[in-house]
Amino acid sequence: MTRIAAPPARFPDSDGPRQVSKFEFNLLRILRFFVGHFPAEQAVRLLRESLPRPECLSLSAVELVQDTLAKGCILFLVRQGGWRNDRYLRNGHPIAGRVWDRIPLNERTLVFSRAVLEFLIWATAEKVHETKTPWDTTANQLTAADELFFWLVLNSIRFDPDLLASLRKKEAFRLNPFCWVCFPGDLVGNDNFEAPNFTPLFEGVRAAILECLQCYLTERWLQSERKKGQVGEWKKLRQQGHAEFVALRTFLEAAGRAKRPDLARFVLRTNATLLSTDLTPAFWTSGLQGSGPLRLADRLETQRAALAVPRQMEVLEAWQNHARTVGYFDDDYQATQMWKAEWEALHGDLIVSRARAVIQMLEPLGGATLRAQSADRGETAHDDHPEGSTG
Amino acid sequence: MSRAYRITVKESDTRRLKADDEICTQLEILEILPPEDMATLLREELKKRGFEEQPDGNLIRKDGELTVKVDPCSGEVSVKAETEETVSQEVRRDATGFNDVGPSERSLRQRVKDQLKADLDKKFEQEQNRLQGKATEALEKHLQELQPEISEVVNQVTRDALKQKAQQMGTVKEISEDAESGSLTIKVEV
Repeated sequence: MTRIAAPPARFPDSDGPRQVSKFEFNLLRILRFFVGHFPAEQAVRLLRESLPRPECLSLSAVELVQDTLAKGCILFLVRQGGWRNDRYLRNGHPIAGRVWDRIPLNERTLVFSRAVLEFLIWATAEKVHETKTPWDTTANQLTAADELFFWLVLNSIRFDPDLLASLRKKEAFRLNPFCWVCFPGDLVGNDNFEAPNFTPLFEGVRAAILECLQCYLTERWLQSERKKGQVGEWKKLRQQGHAEFVALRTFLEAAGRAKRPDLARFVLRTNATLLSTDLTPAFWTSGLQGSGPLRLADRLETQRAALAVPRQMEVLEAWQNHARTVGYFDDDYQATQMWKAEWEALHGDLIVSRARAVIQMLEPLGGATLRAQSADRGETAHDDHPEGSTG
Repeated sequence: MSRAYRITVKESDTRRLKADDEICTQLEILEILPPEDMATLLREELKKRGFEEQPDGNLIRKDGELTVKVDPCSGEVSVKAETEETVSQEVRRDATGFNDVGPSERSLRQRVKDQLKADLDKKFEQEQNRLQGKATEALEKHLQELQPEISEVVNQVTRDALKQKAQQMGTVKEISEDAESGSLTIKVEV
């Protein structure tokens, strides 16, 4: 508390710690847990308890909530990558610097709506996993800061299956693009799901947040990919993989439309780290227990779904192919140069060929086409000869 | 005084069970010629191998219960195994009742009948699983056989495409093929 406590100048009328009720005290502790400043074990206990809901919060409590949100969210974003001296696109041109150097203040101001405070009151008053009073909000009324907050909430509680199952049904989480871009597998409980509209992520404050989260997203996806090899249930792996594929593919399509390939950097970096050596599909599927579904089609679908992340390399390769055709006088020249530099630094061509090879290994006629391809490559090499002669 | 009685109920049913399994994959055809020309070459090669062209442009070959379908334009291959059997199953249960306590004969008989229906459904489910296993096994076996053939098709299409490409570039002076190494050398005079 003392570490990020507000400076005295902020509360000139108070001489010491502010007085809050038991309910408000719990609410503040829960909020501090969401922004990463309170132990998970104690916070989960609070989330699983219920307390009588007061008619309203005191001014002190509201100010403390505002202060914690303002400092906690900003501190989180800065720590996750905002501090890095990096390059991102702005109006089609690469701009270098830390996030506060690259983006003007009015485009990186977090504005929270009532939904956040209402959620905090609900989460404090109710047993979140056995709620009596339902709470939800409309996704399209949430601000960028609200979406960041709800993403932080899901990020904090996702290790607890009961809390996760309860919260992921709510629109604030179910249709939150930040949640979908980070942990789509946690958001689906069956095969029927709907990915949100990712287009707003590439504009204004949301884009600034996404810039800050690039390194975090890379780490998160790497962890998720490495854990896939421990998933034993065929159905679970299929659902997770399917959700990941849809989320990443929709996200990349939106990034392509918005001409912000820099915000999809984490997909390239995740693949580059994963495929730094040749892998086999067993890396993703070795944990599957038993012989799986009776039908070969279902088994194949699960295995294909498990490789959702390497499968995104085809989109990134298309971007790279497009970038190679952009000339000096074209509008996208600087943006595509930046993408090409990133691609080359991470050995994109090699990563694409490794991704393709591992995907091909799963295909039932993959052996045939692989052999055919290698034979074809030999023939193409010979074909180069006559072309060379003509030159 | 109670009198015990035993009733035996039998149920039998005959059902037509169907099972299928299908996989779809993509042929990796190099774009040596324009896609329409590559599709034509693939179509011709597949026809030579017993595939029949359908009104929708797809090529289909049936090997018993297995169907191989190729879309020459997209290179998509689907292999489907279907099997069906008429299966008869009979189940039987005995139950004991007493005429002064417990359920009357009619309700006892009804209860046993319900149990028999469940037994019958379970037996048919087992049969369905067996049939599904059979279809999947057939598909897996066929895929192993199909793999070299598809490989040959892709190779042949690529060879033909290269030859056509060479002809478009100039006068073909010499073509030499080595079946063992799979190499093809074309000398062209422009």
